[in-house]
Amino acid sequence: MTVVEPVETYEYFTEDVPNAKLETKKLDFFYGKNKALYGIDIGFKRNAVTALMGPSGCGKSTLLRALNRIYALYPGQHAEGEILLDGENILDRNQDLGALRAKVGMVFQQPTPFPMSIYDNVAFGVRLYEKLSKADLDNRVEESLRRSALWTEVKDKLQTSGLGLSGGQQQRLCVARGVAVRPEVLLLDEPASALDPISTAKLEETIVELKADITIVIVTHNLQQAARVSDNAAFMYLGRLIEFAKTDRLFDNPKARRTADYITGRFG
Amino acid sequence: MTALPADQTPKGFAKRVLRPRGATFDPIFGFLCGAAATLLLAALTGVMISLAIGGWPAFAKFGPAFITSTRWNPSPDVVGGEFYGGAGPIVGTLITAFVSLILSLPIAIGVAVFLTEFCPRILRRPIGIAVELLAGVPSIVYGMWGLFVFAPLFAQLVETPVASWTPPPFMADFWNNIIIGDMVPNGSGILSASIILAIMILPFMAATLRELFLTVPAKVRESAYGVGCTPLEVVMSVTLPYVRRSAIGAVMLGLGRALGETMAVTFIIGNAHIFPKGVFAGGSTIASTIANEFAEATTPLHTAALIALGFVLFIITFVVLAIARALLGAQRQA
Repeated sequence: MTVVEPVETYEYFTEDVPNAKLETKKLDFFYGKNKALYGIDIGFKRNAVTALMGPSGCGKSTLLRALNRIYALYPGQHAEGEILLDGENILDRNQDLGALRAKVGMVFQQPTPFPMSIYDNVAFGVRLYEKLSKADLDNRVEESLRRSALWTEVKDKLQTSGLGLSGGQQQRLCVARGVAVRPEVLLLDEPASALDPISTAKLEETIVELKADITIVIVTHNLQQAARVSDNAAFMYLGRLIEFAKTDRLFDNPKARRTADYITGRFG
Repeated sequence: MTALPADQTPKGFAKRVLRPRGATFDPIFGFLCGAAATLLLAALTGVMISLAIGGWPAFAKFGPAFITSTRWNPSPDVVGGEFYGGAGPIVGTLITAFVSLILSLPIAIGVAVFLTEFCPRILRRPIGIAVELLAGVPSIVYGMWGLFVFAPLFAQLVETPVASWTPPPFMADFWNNIIIGDMVPNGSGILSASIILAIMILPFMAATLRELFLTVPAKVRESAYGVGCTPLEVVMSVTLPYVRRSAIGAVMLGLGRALGETMAVTFIIGNAHIFPKGVFAGGSTIASTIANEFAEATTPLHTAALIALGFVLFIITFVVLAIARALLGAQRQA
């Protein structure tokens, strides 16, 4: 008797994004021997917000962490397939990771201010890659803090420690730090899940403003948030991309049964 | 649904009193913990008082000269009689401790950074264990190794060449007085002792620093890498500042160990009861002096002088820890 391996079958509906800023092709991801992503094909539209949704463990954060190769800090994690940033495969062996991460910035779920002043937190990444005069650096810090809607709250205490801010302020500080290096892509991993409603609203405004010149990918558990801020949305399940479409279409008229179940709250 | 009559509460409900099972033991537990803390305080105070009392004859007889004078003369037969001035050992203690700290701190940081940032995973455990084992080697072993292995090598490879070098005129004074002093090229002296001490406190500090580095949250490190940092930049800008408070504590503990270390230093410092006359010259520390002379201290005054030295060492260590606290406090406000 021959053992027939069960073939995973699932319905999926995705759309092509022409001229995408960042796209993955047949992306598989492994934590050691455990496969976490299965052949993900997705394009992230230039200067737009793409939301990644799905139940816990569906692989959305894994996908995000693949996009700037932050996973490479941990031996044993690796990706196969292609991730194209402006057509260039960043999974290439000789990709300069520092330069990649300066172009593809990241903000995490928990605020992670560095143990230094507010000003230095924002200037930190800038100093690594650019040599600016004091005045230019001041301008850049102010501009970044304004863009992350934090400036009016901290402008009088730029030299105090970033650790002294409230959770919501710290998170916007991290956004400012990410924005200050003028990234082309910003990855947000559930950036508002630790924030109160007011801070969340401010952060969402910031995200919408930032997309004027930054391509944004946001992982979120909050469906309303995805509906509010994103242009395109993807639903993932068990490491697979189930549905990917314009946000309005995905919420109004989901094509896959699993997507419909998830956004109507029937599971997840 | 029928209401219960007022006098008929559900069985076992209203009268149920919740009592944690550990409640009986709790007061005893609290008392035992309090007793342990009290015992520690009592021991500390007891040591301090008995050192002060035991050393009092020396303090009373010599006054400030016990700290400032370099004359150490235990023989009653010499002109002027017994005289004990501890400046030599006191300064020797401070110099060896600080030099060893300066030598070992950069290396300790290097080891800790390597283990947390660069070391291939497969080597991480073996090297980590080796560091901890080194930290546990008894000091007498370091002392013997220093005397029998390190000192001859040091004499041959460092001291002899150094002794024969003629410095250019502009630094001749500095070289002859501060560096060489009255060096005897036999491998023992202030610098040798400092190097041995550095080797001794290195694994302790490296192990502690490594543990500290591991406490930096992964997300904070990822954030730093996420804006494009190289490992060096992550260490300098994020990891070290993140742990600096506790790191100063770790360094001070290492310094404390260096200040009080006895056997290893006694073996190799040269045991000259003088104010150190150069980095390469012989000297003594408080601990080595006590170890050397306690058995031969025949007069009460000599014993008192040694106990008084112990008291001074106690105070030095206390002050070092107090300074560490003050530094930490200053940083907390910054």
